[in-house]
Amino acid sequence: MSNIRFEQIEGKSLGFYTLVAGLGILVLAALGSVYYMEHHGHFVTGMSNRIVWGVPHVFALFLIVAASGALNVASISSVFNKKLYKPLSRLSGLVALSLLAGGLMVLVLDLGRPDRLIVAMTEYNFKSIFAWNIILYNGFFVVVAVYLWMMFERRMNKFSHTAGLVAFSWRLILTTGTGSIFGFLVARQAYDAVIMAPMFIIMSFAFGLAFFILILMASYQWTNRPLGDVVVNRLSNLLGVFVAAVMYFVAVYHLGNLYLAENTGVENFILFDGGIYTKLFWYGQIILGGLIPMALIYHPATKGNRSMLGLASVLIIIGGFIQLYVIIIGGQAYPMALFPGKEILEGYGGVAQYSASLPEISLGIGGIALAIIAVTFLVKFLAFLPESLADDVADPHYKG
Amino acid sequence: MSKTLNRRDFIKTTSATTIGVATIVSGITLTTFANANKMPVTNEKRWGMLIDTNKLTEADIDGMVSACQQEQGWGSELHSTGNQKPGWIKKLKVRDKATGKISNLALMCQHCEQPPCVDVCPTNASMKRKDGIVLVDRHLCIGCRYCMMACPYDARSFVHETLSNQKEHMPRGKGTVEACTMCVHKVDKGEAPACVASVNSDAVIFGDLYDASSKINQTLKTIQSAQIRADLNLNTGVRYSGI
Amino acid sequence: MNRLLVVFLTLLVSSVFAHTNEHANLGERASSIKASGKVFHGSISIIRKMHPEFLRHKRDKTLRQGVRTDEHSLKGCVSCHANKNKTNNQYHSVDKKDQFCSNCHQQVGVSLDCFSCHRTTPKKGSL
Repeated sequence: MSNIRFEQIEGKSLGFYTLVAGLGILVLAALGSVYYMEHHGHFVTGMSNRIVWGVPHVFALFLIVAASGALNVASISSVFNKKLYKPLSRLSGLVALSLLAGGLMVLVLDLGRPDRLIVAMTEYNFKSIFAWNIILYNGFFVVVAVYLWMMFERRMNKFSHTAGLVAFSWRLILTTGTGSIFGFLVARQAYDAVIMAPMFIIMSFAFGLAFFILILMASYQWTNRPLGDVVVNRLSNLLGVFVAAVMYFVAVYHLGNLYLAENTGVENFILFDGGIYTKLFWYGQIILGGLIPMALIYHPATKGNRSMLGLASVLIIIGGFIQLYVIIIGGQAYPMALFPGKEILEGYGGVAQYSASLPEISLGIGGIALAIIAVTFLVKFLAFLPESLADDVADPHYKG
Repeated sequence: MSKTLNRRDFIKTTSATTIGVATIVSGITLTTFANANKMPVTNEKRWGMLIDTNKLTEADIDGMVSACQQEQGWGSELHSTGNQKPGWIKKLKVRDKATGKISNLALMCQHCEQPPCVDVCPTNASMKRKDGIVLVDRHLCIGCRYCMMACPYDARSFVHETLSNQKEHMPRGKGTVEACTMCVHKVDKGEAPACVASVNSDAVIFGDLYDASSKINQTLKTIQSAQIRADLNLNTGVRYSGI
Repeated sequence: MNRLLVVFLTLLVSSVFAHTNEHANLGERASSIKASGKVFHGSISIIRKMHPEFLRHKRDKTLRQGVRTDEHSLKGCVSCHANKNKTNNQYHSVDKKDQFCSNCHQQVGVSLDCFSCHRTTPKKGSL
C-alpha cells in the first residue's frame, strides 16, 4: 500500500477548459435565474401555496443526500479498515463536500429572502429540524475538511481513523436530519413516517456512490491514468447492494402506509391513480432507477463492463432524482386530510397542479454544475487522485 | 361588535380615537389610541373563536372573507395565479361521507396551542404570543416555507410578488410567509377581529377562552364543539360546532 | 458586547453626516412641527444614531408582546417624514430616491429593509 502516489491532474488540456467553461455557463445561468426569481417574486415559478417546495428542493435535497453518501467510500476505508478503498478516500471526501456545496447553493437561493441568510445563522429555534440541519451542514464542511487534512498531512495520518469515525457518525446524523425534515411532518399523510430517516440514509448510499463512480471513471479516463478492474468491480458490487436496499426500504415504506387507513388515499395516489406521479414512480423510480441498474450490474452479459456500470450509475442518479420528485412534489400534490371522514366539496382539496418553470430547473442544474466544477478545480490544485489505480497498485492481495 | 368583548378591560375606543386624532393634528405627539396596551400580553388570556356552522350562512362566510381582505389588504395581488394567491381565510364546503350532511365553514389559522409551524421554523419567525395568537415575525422570516409544509390547515400563504400600498397596521412583503393574525392589531385595542365583526348573527363568537364570564367560554361549556384535526392534539384556538 | 459594537459603528458612520441639522426632505408634518418651534425628538443626534436600535426594540415589543405605544413607532416616522408631491397632492414613498429615509441611507450606504413590507406613506385619510 505504500506505493500509492497521489498527484494533481495537469488540467491544461482543451477538454479541461471546455468542461470548466461549460459548467461555468450553467452556474451563471443559475445565478441569472435566481436574480429573475427573486426580483419578480416566486410567482414566476411553478411553485404555489399548495406546492410550496418545488424542483429546486428536489435538486437541493438530492445533492445533499448524495453528498453524505459520497463520503461512504472514505468511511469504509477509515472506519472499517478496508485497504482497497484507501486510495479512494481523498476523492470521496472531495466529492462529498462539492455535492453538499451545490445542494446548499440551490436550497439557499430559492429562499424567499436569501438576503436574510444571516438570520438563519444567528437565530436558532432548536425545536426545528431545519435549524438542526443548518448546524449539521455547516459542521459537515468542518468535519470533512479536517478529515481530508488528516489524510493529506503525513504527520496527521495516524488521526485519520478517528477523524473518519467522526465524519461517518456525522454523516449518518446529517442524513437522519434530512430525512426527518419530512419524517416529522404530522400534517401530511405522505410524510409522517419515521422510516423516512433510515430510507434517506440508504438512498444517500446509492446516490452518493453512483456520483462517485462516475466522477472516478471520468477523471481516470480523461487523464489517461490506469484504473484497474478490482477497484471498479468492488464499487460496482457495492452499488448493486445499495440499490437493492433502497428498493427494500421503498417497499416497506409504501406497504406500511397502505396498511394505515388514514394514509391509503395518498398511497393509492402515488402507486395507482396519481397520473404523472404514478408513472414517475413505476417507470422512473422503480424500473429506470432500480431494476435496470441492478440488471446492468449483476447480469452476466453486462457485468464488469464499465460503460454499463457508467450507464447504471447515470440511471441510479436519474431514478434517485425522480424518487425525490415523487416524494417531495407528489407528496404535496395530494391534498391533506383536513376532515377525516368527510369530503371537501369546495375551498380546498383536489390534486394540486405543478409544472416546473425554466428558472427553477436552471437553478437546480446550476447546483450540480457547481459541484462538478468544484471537483474539477480541486483535483487540479490538490493531490486528490492516485496516480494509478491499476490492480497491482490498488489491490493489497493482488497476485500477478 | 362589543358582543364578544369583555368591556371591563377596555376604555371606550371612540372617545379615545377622537383624542388621538386631536393630538395628531396638534402635532405634539403621535398618539393613535390613548388606551393602547402598554403592558405585555400575558398567558392569563387565550383568544379564541367559535364558529357555529349551523348558524353560519354562505353569505356570512363570503362577508368574512371580504372583511378580512379589506382589513388586512390581501387579495388584490396582480401577478400571482391560482394557488399562488394568498388565502388568509377560506370558504370550505364539506360533506359527511356517512350522513351526506353538508356544512359550510370558514377556515383560517387555527391558532394552535402547540403550533407545528412554530416548532419547525428555523429562525423563530413563526411565533405564538402569550395570549395564544400565532403570528409570523416577518423581520426574521427567510421564506423557507417549512411552516407551510407543517401546517395541517393549509392556513399559510407565501407572498409571491412585490407588494406596495400595504395597510399601515399590516406589513406584508414579497418572499415572506403570512397568515391570519386574528386581527391582533384590533384585539390589542379591544376590538373583535374583522371577520367576527362582519357577521351579524352570533354564528361567530370571539373572546377569551379562559375567562369564565366570557360568552365564548360559556357557550363552549354548554354546546358540543370540535377542533379540526383534533387527532393531532394541537389544542386549537378556533373551534367549530355543527360539524 | 455586540450592542456596543453596533453603537460604536453607528456613531462612526453617523459622524459622517451628523454635522448638519438641515434636511432637504424633512417631510410635510415634520417641517410644520419644526416651523412651529415645537420639539418632537429630544435630540436629533440621538435619533440619528440610535433609530435602528429604537425601531428594533419597538418592533419586538409590539409584535411579540403586544405593546402598542407610539414611542419609536415606524408608523410615526412615516406619518411625519413623508413628503407630498405638490402637483398631485400624493405622498412620496419615504424609501424612494431622495426622500427622507432613503436620502441618508444612500449617503451612508446602509440598506433599508423596513419598506419591503411596511407601508411607505402615511395611512390613507390621515391629513
